Amino acid sequence: MLAYLAKRIGMMILTLFLIITLTFFLMHAIPGGPFTSEKMLAPEIEAALNAKFGLNDPIWVQYLNYLRGILAFDLGPSFKYPGVRVNDLILDGLPVTAKTGFLALLCVAALGIPLGILAALNQNKWQDTTVMMFATIGVAIPSYVVATVALYIFALKLNWVPTFGLDDWRGYILPVVALSGFWLSFIARLSRSSLLEVLGQDYMVTAKAKGLHPLTVLFKHGLRNALIPIVTVLGPVVANLLTGSFVIEQIFALPGIGRHFVLSISNRDYTTIMGITIFYAAFLMVMILIVDLMYMLLDPRIKLAENSK
Amino acid sequence: MSTQPLLEVRGLTTSFFTSRGEVQAVRGVNFDVLAGEIVGIVGESGSGKSITCMSILRLLKSNGRVVQGHAKFEGANLLELSEHEMRKLRGDDIAMIFQDPMTSLNPTLTVGEQIIETIITHRGSSRKAARQRVVELFELVKIPEAASRLSSYPHEFSGGMRQRVMIAMALSCDPKLLIADEPTTALDVTIQRQILLLLKEIQSRLGMAIILITHDLGVIAEVADRILVMYGGMVMETGEVNTIFAAPTHPYTQGLLASVPKLRTANKERLRPIPGSPPDMLRPPIGCPFAPRCVHAMEICVEQVPPTFDMADQELHQTKCWLHHPDAPKNSEDAA
Amino acid sequence: MSDVNISVSKEKWAKANLDTGEAEYIAAPSLTYWQDVRQRLWQNKPAMAGLTFIILLVGAAILGPLVTPHTYYEQDLKLSNIAPILELYEVDGGQETPTYFFMNSGNFKLYETDEHGTLKSILRAKKKDLLKKRHLYEFGADQVYVDFSQLPARLLDGEGNELSTYGTKWNQTYWFGTDSLGRDVLVRQLYGARISLTVAFIATLVNFFIGIFYGGISGYFGGNVDNVMMRIVEVIATIPLTLYVILMMVVLQSGFISIIVAIGTVFWVDMARIVRGQMLTLKNQDYVDAAKTMGAGTWRILTRHLLPNTIGPILVTLTLLIPSAIFIESFMSFIGLGVSVPMASWGTLTSEAVETLRAYPYQLFFPAAAISLTMFAFNFLGDGLRDALDPRLRK
Repeated sequence: MLAYLAKRIGMMILTLFLIITLTFFLMHAIPGGPFTSEKMLAPEIEAALNAKFGLNDPIWVQYLNYLRGILAFDLGPSFKYPGVRVNDLILDGLPVTAKTGFLALLCVAALGIPLGILAALNQNKWQDTTVMMFATIGVAIPSYVVATVALYIFALKLNWVPTFGLDDWRGYILPVVALSGFWLSFIARLSRSSLLEVLGQDYMVTAKAKGLHPLTVLFKHGLRNALIPIVTVLGPVVANLLTGSFVIEQIFALPGIGRHFVLSISNRDYTTIMGITIFYAAFLMVMILIVDLMYMLLDPRIKLAENSK
Repeated sequence: MSTQPLLEVRGLTTSFFTSRGEVQAVRGVNFDVLAGEIVGIVGESGSGKSITCMSILRLLKSNGRVVQGHAKFEGANLLELSEHEMRKLRGDDIAMIFQDPMTSLNPTLTVGEQIIETIITHRGSSRKAARQRVVELFELVKIPEAASRLSSYPHEFSGGMRQRVMIAMALSCDPKLLIADEPTTALDVTIQRQILLLLKEIQSRLGMAIILITHDLGVIAEVADRILVMYGGMVMETGEVNTIFAAPTHPYTQGLLASVPKLRTANKERLRPIPGSPPDMLRPPIGCPFAPRCVHAMEICVEQVPPTFDMADQELHQTKCWLHHPDAPKNSEDAA
Repeated sequence: MSDVNISVSKEKWAKANLDTGEAEYIAAPSLTYWQDVRQRLWQNKPAMAGLTFIILLVGAAILGPLVTPHTYYEQDLKLSNIAPILELYEVDGGQETPTYFFMNSGNFKLYETDEHGTLKSILRAKKKDLLKKRHLYEFGADQVYVDFSQLPARLLDGEGNELSTYGTKWNQTYWFGTDSLGRDVLVRQLYGARISLTVAFIATLVNFFIGIFYGGISGYFGGNVDNVMMRIVEVIATIPLTLYVILMMVVLQSGFISIIVAIGTVFWVDMARIVRGQMLTLKNQDYVDAAKTMGAGTWRILTRHLLPNTIGPILVTLTLLIPSAIFIESFMSFIGLGVSVPMASWGTLTSEAVETLRAYPYQLFFPAAAISLTMFAFNFLGDGLRDALDPRLRK
């Protein structure tokens, strides 16, 4: 058990290391430096800036410095906002992004899974067809389309929710809906198919043949197995909620990390781009590790397969 | 003095209502099971043998329904009981084991837990008492190191061991009737024998009745007291094992026995399968279901389902064949 | 139930006339695998609808821009932000022929049209009173006031009564209206379709080839080669692929080729996994051994046996990769990292539309609908293919 955990953490660190390296060298592959693009800077100023940020050092030196910084959880300075460090930008946007993301995840899990179960238990009846209809629509429409259309209908036309900003709780509704829409539908469909498959299994007949109460059969025998593929998929779901948040924050003008990220892209603020990417990657690794642990707890076949190695 | 049969099935007819039409899986099946006896049900795939037993326990899939008949267990018609009352019987007085123990056991629960829950449900015992009982059961079915295996998962056992677990699970509440649906089909031949002998031993110790469903005549010969031969959803012949093996009176039974390769068969002798394939239960033949493949088939066979005739040689020996009608031509009635 | 003493007439005891062929009769006529697949797919209505839509869309994308009277880059700033559906008013004013016009509710200007809705030109106001928020237009002897002191703006005649509309007409000059730079929305939609679809198709093809190559090798050789290659895929796939694309686009700079390269070099992982999985299963299938025992050579095995059975899941994955590519491309374009101006893709169109959302919602409607319907279509088709190819669904 412990060996498995150690192995996973090792993989995690390796992956993160690769991401950092990849990001670093990609950013430095861009022709010209961060200061050569837009404004016409006097060469001396440009030289001074380059020196200040250590951009004249050989690339390996810069790389090592960067790595050293990361070990100290320091992602470097922002190239666009003087005196501001990337860490500050991240911390600035974190509350909003965390809240929105968490709410979206809650929606996806707490709504998606029960809806899928409802559909599976009433296969081909109206509950099933309704849920599936919405779910099919949900997975086909990109989140930013949902966001913009919903923005138009509910904010501009009906005025039920504010157009942007988070002055009160209602400002969260549209972003969370737009962000979670796709994944909620996805999880609902997955839950449904997973439970349907489990319901057709032989051990469900055995459970019934033993005279167990139908709820016991459903929960203890059915859902326990049906949840396994769903949990497995939660890792990537979180990942995608993350990337989805960029655009959502942009559309609804939410002051989150995603907004900083998109801004840094258009500003060509390379350290910020790098820093936020690495932050995201690290966060994801941790989430996936947690999901893996949950999966291990649910499916004894994995635990023991690893143990016997 | 005839004792009331433990299980009395009359006219059992079950159909599945699919998008392609009504599949008549079981068509008018009658049989009895007396307390303590082992009844074997033999037939090809699709003959209706499994569905018959699933119907009795009301474990059919949602599109299946018993359209006619009754199944009286200790006098009470199982098909008319409430679901609540059925739940009390299942796993308790009537237990069932299935063909593939790997898929029939929940992979995410320990085997101990899967038996303990049955015991607690029906006996209301404490966990501790239930655990103790499981250990006894494991010893009964000869699972080595019984106590430590309770916390193992199904995939940690071999096929034969898993089936023993299933048997232990079925026996946990001292059933009066055990229905075993092809319990050895998914196992190796050597293991098959072990399991069969185990079943026989347990049966004689505990005195319960067993319905053993199989397509393997060898298994029947080994274990059963009486036998039902099913084809096309109907019982073709029934009687005591020895009688039927020695002198089968139905062409299908005769064909089955003849098709079994024997060790003593001469080298060059060909295997003798029954030509043809089982009937399509969506559109079953109007007359005798076996007629299309029967060498003795007569006009009446194709037109009408034969009634069930009692055989003279032995009580409870019955055959569903026109050849045994008093007016039937005698010269075509010869054992294969 | 059965009457043992039934009397049976003598003739019935005659031997029955059985057609021995009937005994071996199999219920349904047998079809080859691909006929089976085609039949199942044909019967799947959503899939067929999807396929039809895709064909029509591709047709429109290719031919459309060639036949429309406008180009995607022509601008007419005077005629910007005109809606596709116009409410026309008729004014006489003692002229030979009446004048028809409509009001653009976004900027309160009047434009002249003919009676069918073909645009003529923008009209100039005679007098603009910004304090009272009224513009005066003269048509011959008649006067029309555009009063926007309250919203929604109203059209009044000389006495202050509201004008009654002549009718609602579809804009004949610009069927889908114009955008903020006076460009025809319809042709930009079609052009956007062209771009989006081209990027999606090419990127998917690139993914396809890389994926097949990678997955094929990994699966065919198995063992350590497979382990290492799959580990690499695992590492890559842990991070959402969108991040990679973003990074690459930042490096490569926006552009048509760039986005294709970015998507193509990142999304092959799914295909690789599928192909590798198929390879592994099929390598060991019994019928490969069976074919070998009948003396088939390796090439024959590959083409007659392995390939036809691998195609299924590959085809499905391919069909479902396309909407992913469309999504990513439009997502990227939406945040400004996709194709570059003046090229239009659905993403850029959506992004532009958002800016004018309040006043001119129709500009958002078309790209949003286009993207949604296309993704639907591909998803239905992909799902349908998956169902059709899975023989276990055969009833």
